[in-house]
Formats: sequence, structure tokens, C-alpha cells
Amino acid sequence: MLGHVGRTLLRLFVTGLGIASVAFFLMRAIPGDPASFMLGDYATKESITALRAKLGLDEPVWRQYTLFLSHAATGNFGTSVVTGQPALQEVMASIPSSAVLALSGLFIAILIGLPLGIVCAVRNGTWVDVSVMLGALAGISFPVFWMGLAAILLFSYWIPIFPALGSSNSKDILTQIYHLILPALVLGVSIAAYIARLTRSAMLEVLSQDYIRVARAMGVPERRIIFKLALRNALVPILAVIGVTFAWSFGNAILIEAVFSRPGLGSMLLKAILARDYQLVQAGVLILAFMVVLINASLDLTYTLIDPRLKAS
Amino acid sequence: MTTSLDQQKRDQQERRKATWRRFTSHPSLMIGTVILVLLVAIALAAPWLAPYSPTRTSLINTLQDASWAHPLGTDQFGRDVLSRLIHGTRVSLLVAFWVVTLSLIIGTIVGGIAGFFGGWIDRSINVVNDILMAFPGFLLALAIVATQGSSLESVIIAVSIAYTPRVIAVMRSVALTIRPRPFIEASRSIGMTSTRILLRHVIPNALPPVIVVATLSAASAILAEAGLSFLGLGVRPPIPTWGNIIADGQASITTNPLISISSGLCIAAMVIALNLIGDGLRDALDPQMRRQTAKIL
Repeated sequence: MLGHVGRTLLRLFVTGLGIASVAFFLMRAIPGDPASFMLGDYATKESITALRAKLGLDEPVWRQYTLFLSHAATGNFGTSVVTGQPALQEVMASIPSSAVLALSGLFIAILIGLPLGIVCAVRNGTWVDVSVMLGALAGISFPVFWMGLAAILLFSYWIPIFPALGSSNSKDILTQIYHLILPALVLGVSIAAYIARLTRSAMLEVLSQDYIRVARAMGVPERRIIFKLALRNALVPILAVIGVTFAWSFGNAILIEAVFSRPGLGSMLLKAILARDYQLVQAGVLILAFMVVLINASLDLTYTLIDPRLKAS
Repeated sequence: MTTSLDQQKRDQQERRKATWRRFTSHPSLMIGTVILVLLVAIALAAPWLAPYSPTRTSLINTLQDASWAHPLGTDQFGRDVLSRLIHGTRVSLLVAFWVVTLSLIIGTIVGGIAGFFGGWIDRSINVVNDILMAFPGFLLALAIVATQGSSLESVIIAVSIAYTPRVIAVMRSVALTIRPRPFIEASRSIGMTSTRILLRHVIPNALPPVIVVATLSAASAILAEAGLSFLGLGVRPPIPTWGNIIADGQASITTNPLISISSGLCIAAMVIALNLIGDGLRDALDPQMRRQTAKIL
């Protein structure tokens, strides 16, 4: 058990270092001089020189790299060129709104996707299976931002029951939830399609194994076979997929925030990209990627709780 | 001599028939291929199919409803939406084509080297690959386009970098299972070099699952390209792409919903085709392959 935890932590550290390196070299890969690129076409020579010095661009690359890493380790990601605030603070301020959207989307997705996937595997080949899988195929194939627009058209204009804006300034928690419903549903449905497909194939594989046939021959009730014997074994690959979809839910949240004009990491990143505020882009990408890795690592640790066999390996 | 040649010919025909039967007995593969061939035909014939120029603006014809002259209406610059959709097919297909090609070439070579040679080569490739896979694909593509500027080339490069690591991972795991097999040992004993074994035996034998993953990755790549164009970071206007047509239609979604709706249907058709082909190939080639590819996607 401890060995597994240790390995997970080591991998976490290496991946974190790698993510920081990718974020650093992405900035360095800006064609030409980053400072003059960030300041735009009308920058004076003095302001470019000042920004170059401030960003440390006059130092040799390896020195910049080590400085960047040691600063990042202490939570210093530079300051936003536009607002003058520390980049970390800006990113952190935009996370809660995105996290609420991503988590509620994921919750809806599991609520819809998991039962549908199980039903499809149990009723394999019937019209229920075929129609749910066709729906899931559509769910993974339509762009999520298009689904958002279609949802606004349907539920805000033609049948006006939900607001088209994905957020509100109101302090009232119920109003905020009311504005969250539509974006969370769209995100949830798009991820539910993936979860349903994977749950179905994981369950089908487990249900075709010998010990299930033995259990059936011994007269174990079908309900017990499905939920106790099969689902528990299928849960490890399903959890792995939920970890992957969590990363997607943040990627998709960027697009959904744009459609529903909801504040959050996505709209912050987009604004920073358009303003060429690369310190902020760098910090946002780095922190978001690191969050995803952290979540996957903690999921990885929970596998051992579900599947004791993994402790040994 | 002639009989053995005849026999060979018959065998070949027989094999071809078997392949065809396998192809036709998987409806998802058939439907996906038909849709894709249709889209390729539309992309190739775009200049002749499109009733108008996709970029010609007309200020007296803005935001027209569907009519015989403009079957899907016009956008806020008076451009014919149908013509823009037809030309937009090209960008999506180009992205799909290049992502499949680049990820297959890079993925098989890098993944094959990692899995076949093992040791420190494998470990170092694997560490880098894991790091790239840790980024949500869309976020990585977004960051690359943000720093490299918006153009068709940088979108293709960004999306390829974001989606090739999956192909590398699958190629590596398949190469790992091929390495200990007897025919590799045999090739070595007759004096084949490692490079030759890799190119002649490991890569061809590993191709089926890798092609499946590359096809499914292309589906994600098209969605990513559409997302980038939708945010205004992808291929620059006025070049029509399905993603930026949806963005154009967003402002007038209540009065002219056809613009965004029809463009989204086009994206879905292409992505459904690729997903159907990927799923169908997976089922048709080898049922046990599910295990190797399912975990990645």
C-alpha cells in the first residue's frame, strides 16, 4: 500500500515538473521577442526594454528556466501585465466558478451515464441498448458549444424556462443555482455520453467472464450478479474514465463559459489570450493542468480501495 | 506451374471477398465510410457545388431567411451560408487528414521505439508522453495556438501535438506485447537488424489498434478545431470553417437559428463518421483489441 502511494507521489512530482517545463517553453516558443509581442505594435523602445528586464528575458535561457521553476514552487507565477495583480491570485479567483460548473456537470454526467451504461450492458443487443448507444454517439459527436447554443434556443427563447446567462450577480444562492442549471446540464449530457459508452463496454467485458457464468449456474440472483459481482469489477476502468473526463470537463467548461457568458477560468484565459497577457495564460494553463493531475492521482489512490488486487502490484 | 498460379489468384480473390464480407457485416463501418466519402467529395467539388462565393459580402442581403436563392439564408455580412458550409468542409477534412497522418507517423515510430527497445529509452519517452497526456487536449491546443498565432498550420500543429500522445501510448503498449513473440526472436536469429525488425514486423503488426486510436483521435481533433475557431482563435476569418460559422450565427441565434444549427450538424456528421469508422474497425479487426484501445479513449 505504502509502495503504491509512494510511487503515485513520485509520479505526481515528475509530472508537475514536466507541466511547469511545458508551460515555460510554450512561452519561450512565441515567435520573435515575447516582450514586444505582448506590448503590441505601438510600444516604445523603453517600455519593451523595461518589460524585458521585468520578465527576466535578458538572462540566459537555463537561468530563466531555473528561476521560473523556483518561483513556481513558491507560488509566484509573475504578475498580470494588464491588471498588475499577481497571476496566481487572478487564476485562483476564477477557479471556484469553473469548479462549480465542472463538478456539477460531472455529477449530472455520472447520474445519467452510469445507469444507462449498465442498462445497455445488461440488455445488450435490444432496442434499449441500440437507441441509448445511438444517443451516446450523438452526445460525443456534437460540439459542446453547439449544444449550449441549442439549449439556449430551446429553453430560453422557444420555451423560456431558463435564463440564457450562465451566471448572476445576485447574492441569492437559489438564483445562482437557477442560472447554473442550463450550462451544467449541457456539460453533463456531453460527458454522460462518454461515461455511458465506457460503462457499457467495461460491464460487457466483465459479464462475459467465467466467474459470472459460475455465479449464474449456482443460482445467484441476477441483481446481485450485476451490482455486487460485475459492477465492482467494472468500476476500476470506469473510474479511470471519469478521471479522464474530469480533464475534459474543464476543457469543455472553457467553451461553455463562452456560450453562456459565465465568468471563470475559461473566460479569464480567453481574455488573457486576446490581451496577450502571457504571464496570466501561463499561470492559468499550468495551474489548470496541475489540478487535473492532482485529481487523477487521488482517483488513482482510490482504485486501491475498490480493487485490493492493485495493492499487491 | 499454371495451376499453382491459378490457385494463388483464387486464394487472393477469396481473401479479398472475406475482407469485403467483414467490411459489409459491420454497419457502423459502412455508414461511417459512406458519410466520409460524401464529405470528401463535397470538399473536392466545393467551388462547383457552392452556389455563391463563400467570402463575397453583400450589404443589402444581410441575415436573409431561407429562400430558393439562399437555401440556408445569409449571415450578418450577406454571405450565403450554404456556400460557406460547403467550403468549410475543406478545413475540417484537412485538419482530420493531417492529424491522422502526423499522429500515425510520429506515433508509430516513437511508440514503436519505446515499446520495442525498452529500457531507459522507453522510460524517458514514457515520462514525456505522460506529461503531455496530463494536459486536457483542448487546453494544450488552446495554449499552443495562443502563443503561435492563428492560422491553419498552427491549428493543425497544435491539435496534432495535443492528440498524438494517445497514439504513442497505444503503439508502445502493443509493441511491448509483440517484442517477446517467437517470430521476433526468429528474425533476430537470421541476422535482421533491430531497425529492420521494427519497420518490417513490429510496426505492421501493431497497426490495427493504432489506426483505430488515430481515427478516434481525429474525431476529437475536429471538435477541438471547431472549438478554437468558435472562440476566434482558430483559422482566421474570412476563411469559412464550421466553428467560426457557428460563432457568426451566435449573435443572431434567435432570429436566424439556421446559421449555427446547420453548421453544428455538419460538424456532428463528420465526427459521427469518424467515430463510426473507429468503432467499426475496432470490432471488425479484432474483438480482443477493445481492451487495448478502450482505456485510452
